[in-house]
Formats: sequence, C-alpha cells, structure tokens
Amino acid sequence: MTKEERLKKRHRAEKRFRFYGLTSIFVALLFVVILVQNIFSKGSSAFKKTVITTEVFFDQELLEIQNGASQEEIMEADFYDIMIENLIKTYPAKDRDEEDELLKLFSGDAEIEIKKAFLNDNNLIGKTITLDLTASDDIDQLHKGNYPRDLPEERRRISDFQLVIYDYFVENKKISKNFNNYFFNNGDSRDPELAGIGGALVGSFYSILICLLLAFPVAVLASIYLEEFAPKNKITDFIEININNLAAVPSIVYGLLALQILLATIQLPRSTPLVAGITLALMTLPRIIIPCRASLKAVPPSIREGALAVGASKFQSVFHHVVPLALPGTLSGTIIGLAQALGETAPLILIGMVAFVVDIPSSPVDPSSSLPVQVYLWSESAERGFVEKTSATIMMLLSFLIVMNFIAVYLRQKFEKRWN
Amino acid sequence: MSKVKIKSKNLNVYYGDKQALFDVNLDLNEKEVTALIGPSGCGKSTFIRCINRMNDVIDICKVTGNIEMDGMNINDKDLDVVSLRERVGMVFQKPNPFPKSIYDNISYGPKIHGKGETKSELDQIVENSLKKSALWEEVKDRLDEPGTSLSGGQQQRLCIARAISVNPEVILMDEPCSALDPIATAKIEELIDELKKTYTIVIVTHSMAQAVRVSQKTGFFHLGKLIEVGKTEKIFKNPDNKMTQDYITGRFG
Repeated sequence: MTKEERLKKRHRAEKRFRFYGLTSIFVALLFVVILVQNIFSKGSSAFKKTVITTEVFFDQELLEIQNGASQEEIMEADFYDIMIENLIKTYPAKDRDEEDELLKLFSGDAEIEIKKAFLNDNNLIGKTITLDLTASDDIDQLHKGNYPRDLPEERRRISDFQLVIYDYFVENKKISKNFNNYFFNNGDSRDPELAGIGGALVGSFYSILICLLLAFPVAVLASIYLEEFAPKNKITDFIEININNLAAVPSIVYGLLALQILLATIQLPRSTPLVAGITLALMTLPRIIIPCRASLKAVPPSIREGALAVGASKFQSVFHHVVPLALPGTLSGTIIGLAQALGETAPLILIGMVAFVVDIPSSPVDPSSSLPVQVYLWSESAERGFVEKTSATIMMLLSFLIVMNFIAVYLRQKFEKRWN
Repeated sequence: MSKVKIKSKNLNVYYGDKQALFDVNLDLNEKEVTALIGPSGCGKSTFIRCINRMNDVIDICKVTGNIEMDGMNINDKDLDVVSLRERVGMVFQKPNPFPKSIYDNISYGPKIHGKGETKSELDQIVENSLKKSALWEEVKDRLDEPGTSLSGGQQQRLCIARAISVNPEVILMDEPCSALDPIATAKIEELIDELKKTYTIVIVTHSMAQAVRVSQKTGFFHLGKLIEVGKTEKIFKNPDNKMTQDYITGRFG
C-alpha cells in the first residue's frame, strides 16, 4: 500500500466514524422528539377544563339559611335543590328523562361549586349570578375534540340528545374552556374532570424532603470518611465495591426491603411519604456517595499537602479546603440522585403508595400518592379524561426533573473553583 | 562552623516492599542553604519529606532510623506533627496556592495556630510575610483577589509567603523553580539568599547552576543513597566520588 492509499484510508475511516456518530445522535434526538411530541399532544389539553356558563338564582325558598349566614351554617346547608333548579333551566327540557340527561352534563361537584360561590359572598339570596360550572368528563372530552361524535349512539357515552344540548350550548356560547385549577389543587378522584395531582405533588414533596434529609448527611459523611480518612485496605475496598453494587440494585428490591422491615417489622404507617422517603433514601444513598467521592477525588492532592504543610491537622485540611472545593460536585450529585428518586415508581408501589387517595396529605404520615405512581394509576384507567391527565402528569414530572438537573448543572458551573 | 539544625542518622524509608532511602546520614546547618541534587527517583524528595513528616500521608510509607531537629526526635510516633510542621515549612514543586484570596492564603496558617488574634495582627503578619517573600509591592492593592490569578512565579512566592507566615525555623523546598521561567527563577533564588539569614533552608533541585548559586552545602543522592556531601564549592569543583563527578558534568542523570 502506498503512502497516499494509507492516507486516504485513514481519512475514510475518520469520515465513517463521524457519520456513525451523527447518525446515532440523530436517532436519539428523534426518539426524544417523538416522546415529547406524543406527551404534549395528549397532555396539554389537561391544563384547561370545559365549563358551562350557568345563571344561578339563589331562591330563599329552596335554602334553609339566610343572607349573612356564618361559614359553618353555609357548609352544613343543602344546596342540592338550588343546583337542580338552576341547572335544568340551562336547556328547555321536555320531561324528567331529558332533565336527567341534561344534569349528567355537569360535573359531580356542581353543588359544591355553587356553595363555594355563596361562601365567597353570603348576601346572594334573592340575587342571580353567572357561574362557570365544570362540565362532566364526557362533555369536557367532546369539547376538547378528544371524543369522536360520529360513532353510533350505542357505542358512545354521550346520547344523541346530549349532543343536541351540547350543540345548543355551543351555539349560545355557554360553553368555554378555563384554566384547570382542579388539576393542581385536587387529589385523586373517580371522576376525571375532578381528579388532580395536588395530593401526588404534596406526597412527592414530602417523600423527597425526607429522602434528602436522611440521605444527604449520611452520604456526605460516608464519602468524606471513606475518601479522606479511612485506611486503604481490603475492608474499605470491599465497602467500595458494595456501594457500587448497591447503586445498581433494582429499585424494586429496596421496595421489598422496606415492605419487610419498615412496614412488617417496625410497623410504620402504610402508604405514607414517611416510608416512601426512607425507602428512597436507602436507594439514593449509594447514588449520592459515588459522585460525592468522585468530586472529593477531583480535588488535587497538592491542596491537601499545602494545607498540611502549614500545619493544618488532617481534619482541618479536609474541612477547610477539600470539602468546600468538592461541594459543588457533591450538591449536583445529590440533586441528580434526588431527581432519580423523584421518578422512582416500583418501590413505592410495593409500600402501598398505589392506593387511591382523595385527600391531600397534611403531614408525612398521612396516606398519599406520588407523581410517578399517579401516572401509573391513571394510565390504567379506562376513561378518556385520564389519558390526558396521565400525559399532563408526566409533563409535570419531566419539568421537575429538568429544573432539578438544570440546578445541578448551574451549581457545578457557578461554584466550581479552578486550580491553576 | 555553624550549628547543626537537623541531623539524620541511618535513615531508611520504605514504600511497601521497595526501599527508597538507605542509611542516610546527613547534617543540615542552621541558617544555611543545603542543596540536594541527584537524578530523578533518587530519594531527595523522600528525604526532605521526612523532615516535616509529610510521608505520613502515604499509607504504605515506613520510616526507620533517626532524624533529629535541635535534639528532638522527629520520627517519634508521639510527636505532634501539627507543631512540627509549624516549625518546618514546605514549598512544593508546583505552586499550590489555595483557591482563595491572596490574604486568606497567607492568614490561614497563623489563624489555625492561634497566631494573630486580632485583625490588625493578622494584617501585619500578612504584610510581613509578603514583604519577606518580595511579593508585597506587586499584590498590596489586590489582596482579596484569588491567589490562583497570579502568575506562576508570583504563585510560588505566595506559597513561600504562606510557608513563612507561621514563622518556621526550617523551610523545605522541593524543586521550587522547576515550573517557572528563568526570570521568576532568578527572583526566587534572590529570595532564598535573603531568607537564609533567618531560616534554615533545604532545597531539592535538578539544576546544578541553581545549587551552585544558592547553596552553601550540597548533598548528592543516587538510588536512595547519599553518595557525597560537602561544601558546595568542593562538590562542584573537586568531588571525591567518581559518580558525583560524572553527574555534575552531565555524563548521566
């Protein structure tokens, strides 16, 4: 082979490698785009809810309370008759059956929504106000265009008559889309139009908080000891190998461990963020220790020697010089570990967080759900309303993860000190 | 004849199974510069790291024999290395300022040793140390800038200032000029000349010229053994040992 041929061959090899690299990056990006596009197209509509503009007249005859009633009186009062009387006026129904069908177009919370309006202003008796009442899931999906109306009637959840009412609403501009506050404020519900991720958000927050409080100090102290103080011998080698192995243990194993020890033996309350936090902390511990040790290792030995040479003790050289320099890497490693914990589902299912929880937890020992488990729960539901809610929850989860990773990168770049 | 400050007797150092120093007997005179020369890996650095016990950092390192400073056994297990290193400062091959301000670099040592209780005392120590290391004029207006922003030569003088800030008796220099350009090197050498009035200095160097310029006494190491030691003039003009002769004339090493 001549010199030119060899040179050509080398150039070809380089070009080939470039092509392979670009192709794989392109394929990876394509998958990301498909995933994101899929989630967005399904989920973005969940941030809006369909409301039916309704005139509500507070008839004294239908209410047992007076103007100026106290909070407790209003809470206890029955608004059912008020609701029925006002809702059936939204469409000129001919008989009882038609009225029933009409009422089904409103969400199960219509009575509560009317009551809330009265709670805001307790002088409404004898007056008429306009309220945006939440529509039922079927109308919601129909209005958002997620529900096909050209199916034969017996295969539709909406009857022909209900479609007529819907068209009447549309014609009279009584139906519109509002910001879906229920999605953020409510807990889980059997009715998709009322279901929200409020409970899951709070549950995830408590779990991650407990995970952070337990895992961070233990992981940082363990890393500092192992990296700076522990003698390098067979025992520490063995510990190091085991930490690396633990980081690779499937998370469901930690769930089983928690099930046996935390729930069965110690008898901590089931389905709570407390147990979830402890489980996630166990799982996250090795995943924080590894980057933490790596960032301690990255501090050049000359810094340690410099400190020791002016007479700093081992402890002083570590805590005055090495640890502050390793801190940015440690913090970003911790955040990435927590981001992984935030998205963890399997161990939480095992400890019972998969339960149907309507109330928003007020403390870490209340039963609760969490974001990934909520995704899992809703993805199994048949109603169309839950399809968009599943995707919207994934969007929330992904945006939290992106924010956390962004903070990690920011911390590392902002505070990382350069030596020489 | 000046007083002997540090005296090593039958000093042996092992890194695991490998022996790095063999029966080194070397006396270092007070307020004098002793240069240690020899090819790479011959044990010069290992020897000076015995004087401030920096070898303790290396787990597998074992030191036997005797090394004394003013009659105190440095190699004593019960010796407090912190107070030893307060008396024996060190400057490394590569400038290693802390990634902190110039001021903090120098005030760190005095602070941890409880010298300079008040801010004004610390200010004084920082100023004196920087003046002694001939850096004061260059940095006096930017003491709060990071030490790492200085040039290589300035960084090394900052490290020297850091070493003298705790007022040691001995300063060990492990090839302090090997990472510096000739002008910075000349400045450090000038500084060493000045410092020897106050401190006992040991310098490891690969430059024969430097050894001749700065030292009064020179020791030649080869393969972990101290081959020859004597007045610098004698070593470079008329060495007793053939190997020393070969090394300084550049025939090996």
